[in-house]
Amino acid sequence: MNAVMLTSYPRTLTVVAALLTLLMLAYGGVMDAVYPSLLGVFEWLETTWFGVIGKTWGAAFAFVEAVHLLGLALLGGCVLAGDGRLLGVVLTDVPVQTVVERTHRVFVFGLSICLVTGIFMACGVATKIYYLPVYWFKMLALSAGMLFHFQIRRPLLGHDIQNLNPVVVKMVAVASMLVWFMVAATGRWIGFSG
Amino acid sequence: MNELIYNLAVWLDDTEWSRMLHESYYMYNWVESTHVLTLMVSLGMLFLIDLRMLGLALPDVPASRIAERLNVPMLIGFAVMFITGILLFYAVPVRTSQSLWFRIKMVLLVACAVNAFLFHKRMNESVSTWDIEPRAPSRIRLGAMLSLTFWSIVVVCGRFIAYDWFDCDTSPNTLIDIVSGCVDGQTRF
Repeated sequence: MNAVMLTSYPRTLTVVAALLTLLMLAYGGVMDAVYPSLLGVFEWLETTWFGVIGKTWGAAFAFVEAVHLLGLALLGGCVLAGDGRLLGVVLTDVPVQTVVERTHRVFVFGLSICLVTGIFMACGVATKIYYLPVYWFKMLALSAGMLFHFQIRRPLLGHDIQNLNPVVVKMVAVASMLVWFMVAATGRWIGFSG
Repeated sequence: MNELIYNLAVWLDDTEWSRMLHESYYMYNWVESTHVLTLMVSLGMLFLIDLRMLGLALPDVPASRIAERLNVPMLIGFAVMFITGILLFYAVPVRTSQSLWFRIKMVLLVACAVNAFLFHKRMNESVSTWDIEPRAPSRIRLGAMLSLTFWSIVVVCGRFIAYDWFDCDTSPNTLIDIVSGCVDGQTRF
């Protein structure tokens, strides 16, 4: 067990360092310096095909919003099934490794839908979301979620889960659910802002 | 019929709680957010069950086990969505009841319920013969496909309700006005 945990430490520390750097960029002086220069990028996003379609055809934007929600449902279902199994709440009579591995594939599909549709939507309202703090919170949460999932959760659960400390496994499951809930909730709140 | 629905909606709209819920920025948004975010529980579980039947998710786990075990969280999710959905309707009854998309959504929800009933009936009758197969028989797969399609359109319609393209006070199209249930001389929108 120790060997398994030790090999995960450098990766975990790297991810934690990356997240801290992101937070520092978001709240430190660096962001203040970088933020104004990003406006040009967001203005450019509105001139791309995605931006023009999103701004011109309200129905297309609304349809993509709905597909974004469908991707979110798929992603959320996989997170809840996988992490619920790690917590011993759902699918308790199915091997944990099977549930985690199989739901991961569908999770990636759901996440891909969310990313593609999310980029489309962001292009359509780029200069609006640029000024919304909650949009930046969402990007922070999304970065944290993706880093956590692919650099901590997945490598850790790639080992024999029976040999891992159960408390660590449960903490990973709770953290995973919390971070993806944060992504979804901040995303929803974008719609209420501005 | 449309006049009856309209009068009922106006009566609901006149109740104090409806007005309070509609005008409460945070409460309305909390209810709406809960309605949307619960998609991850209800539809998330439903999609996994349907994809399992199609052989696209968890193909090496017995189909009956996936359906039975994920049924409970799925139904909890649907219960929350149902309650928050009723609250959302109660907050904006006139406009919602005359929304084309809301009406399509309600019809599709009935279709979803009938499909779910038939799906489970057929599955329970025959699951012992194909439980560990990666893909369910064609009749069950058809039910899963219909479920995925119906629910996807429900989500699209639910999203479209927020837009005022065909509202009674904006839509000039007679056919859409009839389907939406617009009432001649109505004063409330």
